[in-house]
Amino acid sequence: MLSAAERARYDRHLLLPEFGAAGQERLKSARVLIVGAGGLGSPAGLYLAAAGIGTLGLIDHDRVELSNLQRQVLFASDEIGAPKAGTARRRLLALNPEISVHAHEFKLRAANAAELLANYDLVVDGSDRLATRYLVNDACVLLGKPLVSAAIHRFEGQAISYAPERAPCYRCLFPEVSEQVVPNCAEAGVLGVLPGVMGSLQALEAIKILAGIGTPLFGRLLTFDALAMSWQEFHFTRREDCAVCGAHASIRTLRDSAGAELDNSSSAIEALQPRELQARQQRAAIDGAAPTLVDVRQPHEFALSHLPAARNIPLPDLERRLPEIPLHFPVVFICRSGARSLAAAKLAEHAGMGAIAHLEGGMLAWAAELAPAMRIAPPD
Amino acid sequence: MKHRVRIPSPLRSYTAGAAQVSAEGETLDDLLAALERAHPGMRFRMIDEQQRIRPHMRIFINTHEAGTLASALAPGDEVHLICALSGG
Repeated sequence: MLSAAERARYDRHLLLPEFGAAGQERLKSARVLIVGAGGLGSPAGLYLAAAGIGTLGLIDHDRVELSNLQRQVLFASDEIGAPKAGTARRRLLALNPEISVHAHEFKLRAANAAELLANYDLVVDGSDRLATRYLVNDACVLLGKPLVSAAIHRFEGQAISYAPERAPCYRCLFPEVSEQVVPNCAEAGVLGVLPGVMGSLQALEAIKILAGIGTPLFGRLLTFDALAMSWQEFHFTRREDCAVCGAHASIRTLRDSAGAELDNSSSAIEALQPRELQARQQRAAIDGAAPTLVDVRQPHEFALSHLPAARNIPLPDLERRLPEIPLHFPVVFICRSGARSLAAAKLAEHAGMGAIAHLEGGMLAWAAELAPAMRIAPPD
Repeated sequence: MKHRVRIPSPLRSYTAGAAQVSAEGETLDDLLAALERAHPGMRFRMIDEQQRIRPHMRIFINTHEAGTLASALAPGDEVHLICALSGG
């Protein structure tokens, strides 16, 4: 039963004949988990809390950063450095003290996903990594939980909804995607309002599914082009060969994909050996995901010898010239011995770039291992 | 037969930033070949060496998924190239 205070708070919902007290009661008894308190999770969380979802959970292991505030409207400037999930919990309870909010300040992994999701009726996925998207999708399929999933990139948004027996899943749409071929917001940028639109849409879908009204995005991919201000809808069906919801599914238990081991909160700079870099360049010829090579030595060092595809941005100029580096593919920094390239990688990481590596041992190691005839200039 | 083709933002570096281009083709395969001629390198980002649509790409003809590269295109059909996004 709704209390007098709740009847007053949700009055505009109760006025809707299609929704009414029965719909509000359903929301009150519902438990929704939001994965990622970021650009999508912020508006989704605010609207779901305001709408009176009885139990909300937020899982996010990150802390609030200054660069989040352009779009993550759950957080304020004086909360920089604070854990996101706990900070979001306080904000949502201030908005609606009638509900319960649980903060899960850890990283979602195969080992903890089933136990966590078991406590919820529906999942809203606003994560920023494909590995997490697949883990959430697989967990929802295996546990039989509805899922509202959205993703954003630059000026574009996508959304689908899943429910057991009623819709194809995310893997039916995109069976398997390598993190390297799909840029994320940290690499490619995003217009701040875009996740506001898509996260609000996720809250709307969750409410519709929980209240049993309207037509959710089951088997439909909704895309939004913010520049053209156009929405489009595409129909997709369950794949017979889907690895998780198909007739002969191979995924029976949850697993972390390789990308899930990369942790955004700690340094993810990769140190590449010369042969690893060479192998990656050869592989790039096949999969098209060529790493961008940025040589941070001085121009006179670069002039004497450098790797064929490398471009020269001397370390002192790097911060100013970071925007010149294409963001769609991994970047590998190179110098003479590996010290300046590591400094460059740290600078790029600090600036918010993802998929960063450097050549360990630098051009000296490259020449020693792979190009004995190559002459390497001294730094001065 | 010319068709309107919608380009996802991760592939717009091949179309000089254009979100939409036009290309000719009686089938999806023809159209992708025409796109490749106009925008070299683009087809390989969508189709692998086994001539399969890459798993992070979906191609829709109007509002329905194109099953195979042999899918026929009718006059007025629009082709939408959709790329998985990861941002949140």
